[in-house]
Amino acid sequence: MKTTLGIAFLLAFLATASAATLPDGVTTRDVWFYSEGVKCYGKLFLPKDFAADGKSRAVILAPGWGETAASTEKYAANFAGKGLAAMAIDYRGWGKSGGYVYLAENVRYDDRLRFSQHTAKVRIRRKRLIPDDQVSDIRNAISFLQGEPGVDRLHIGVWGADMAGGHVMVIAGLDPRVKAVVAQVPIIEGKNAERKLSLPKPGSKQADIQQVEVNLARTGEAPATPVAAVAMNAEETKIALAEYHPFWFVSQIPEKTAVLFVVAANDTKVKNEDNAIAAAKVLKGPNSVTTVPGAHAVAGKASDQAADAAGEWFVKYL
Amino acid sequence: MFGLPGLRLGSASVFVAAGIALGSLTATAQIDASIVEKNRADLEKQSKDPVMKREGGTQPLDWGYQLPDGVTTHQVTFYVGGGTPLYGKMFFPRGFTKTGKRPAIVCGHGINALSIGIEKYAARFADRGFVAMAIDYESYGFSGSEVSLMEDDKTTDARAVWEKTARVQLKRTDLNNFKEVEDYRAAVSFLQGEPGIDPDRIGIWGSSNAGSVVIAVAGHDARVKAVVSQIAGTGAAPATTPVNITPAFLDDMIKRARTGQGAEVDGGFSFRSKVDMYSSQRNREVRPGATVDRIPETTKILSVLAEKDELGNPVPAANAAAKAFKGTWQVVVLPYMTHFEMYSGTAFEVDSTLAGDWFEKYLGAPPVMKAKGE
Repeated sequence: MKTTLGIAFLLAFLATASAATLPDGVTTRDVWFYSEGVKCYGKLFLPKDFAADGKSRAVILAPGWGETAASTEKYAANFAGKGLAAMAIDYRGWGKSGGYVYLAENVRYDDRLRFSQHTAKVRIRRKRLIPDDQVSDIRNAISFLQGEPGVDRLHIGVWGADMAGGHVMVIAGLDPRVKAVVAQVPIIEGKNAERKLSLPKPGSKQADIQQVEVNLARTGEAPATPVAAVAMNAEETKIALAEYHPFWFVSQIPEKTAVLFVVAANDTKVKNEDNAIAAAKVLKGPNSVTTVPGAHAVAGKASDQAADAAGEWFVKYL
Repeated sequence: MFGLPGLRLGSASVFVAAGIALGSLTATAQIDASIVEKNRADLEKQSKDPVMKREGGTQPLDWGYQLPDGVTTHQVTFYVGGGTPLYGKMFFPRGFTKTGKRPAIVCGHGINALSIGIEKYAARFADRGFVAMAIDYESYGFSGSEVSLMEDDKTTDARAVWEKTARVQLKRTDLNNFKEVEDYRAAVSFLQGEPGIDPDRIGIWGSSNAGSVVIAVAGHDARVKAVVSQIAGTGAAPATTPVNITPAFLDDMIKRARTGQGAEVDGGFSFRSKVDMYSSQRNREVRPGATVDRIPETTKILSVLAEKDELGNPVPAANAAAKAFKGTWQVVVLPYMTHFEMYSGTAFEVDSTLAGDWFEKYLGAPPVMKAKGE
């Protein structure tokens, strides 16, 4: 009981602390958007002078690997303080967003009835890490934001860190709606990835992955137990990551899209030379690489500096 | 009418048509396509026969076939996308044993169609000794649906899976070429694990929209050793910019994100049903032609085309892709034929024979046990 109360006090304190960090006049609102049939969570940060009949520039914040909207709120608040509408999101199956839904019993369906409603046993999977799905979620968040009264649909940007820094490259290469992006300590793996496909050598890591694909195709129904679900999440992620090459999309980024890379001076997780810096060399339009002090997990003062750099980039190029 | 048939999926670049392209092909890499010339008169006859005229789709009488003597079928379930069950119908040849090592072929249907329309190809391949598998894509035919909750999802990250009883909505005919690529790949994986099949000798066959999808599959999966792409041309243009979004599609994307469902349009040819308007925007992003440079040279590709294809002439685009590809890619054109005439009569006999010849050449000829009475 004591512990519960303690946690409640702590949470109340954190909520107050978080609210206190909002820049003057910035307000927030929870919103829901749909991504391929799943209801997903977003938190809007609206600047002081935001008006439903106005035309505010807007930015989506994409969480990093295994992160939720909470991890990006500080940046969203910073951007809103600079006059931008900002939207922090949870990916499908994470945080407050809905999960992946699978039927756990047979239900009759017929193509002649395109939509049908049923009460049925389902399995809802969470915490899957599928880069392509996260990219779709971000793009659907862009669509949502473009329809928000007061947002200028022609001036949309995307911010992402870590794996989401790679997602940002993919989106800038795929989606003509994006006018400016910021990739912080991005993982753009693929610079060294052979573009030509090849068959894995027997016994190699890739061969193991192919065996997992066979297993999933033959027995991969939605798992019934959390233990099985955790194991399946890991297997699916291994496959998805092996095929994810954000670097291949960099050359598709149009000249009009402005790209800022924010890298950490002492990053031991990603090699800036092979990721942000290599990508910058391929870009046709305005781009810049800016360095903040510290490690990959940009924190403390470095994160203030990173947020300011990103916010200013969006203000300049949106 | 549904906007773009899938065969325009790829690059729209215009190249000068060149009958039969050889690309970098040497004579020994080709199959003998003289069956086309041998049947020229019959193809012309088919094209002039009012009973065989096909416009805007095939007809149920085109789907029927006699199961070859000794070929057996078996329905299977395989999985994709984290647990969505898909339907496949296996065709096992005469003399099939689980201890053997036969080559196998996945057969996929066209835009908004069903596997029942192309089972005849699987049956034909099985008659020639291959194991063949005809599949329904996700949300089509007997395959599983897109499932959405109709109530708030109260599950949390405390567990990786939650089982409960809930109100759900099932959505059918969600035309999505990205998912079709994954459906084919899951079928290849399924076959690789099937007893009696050689996992290193898997081919794929696709017609119409699937003729483009199979090229994208080849560009994503080196396990595919032989490909037959029927009545489709993808070109081989690299992707250098994002795919354009028109204002109408943009409005629809916003509606989808804010309400969960966008506009619907009539979809399909042989099987009429509604599809999401957004499908054609999304399918344009697949860009199979842009993956041609990734296809390994160990993958051998045959395009079988209809000279009078009314859905857009695929010959120049197929020739361009064949030319750009560093490996073996043969293009054969059936004279007089329109798109939907390829599935019946003489055209079917010719195109299914060419496909079978291709698979024999590049997957290796399976042992064929004679049918009773032969």
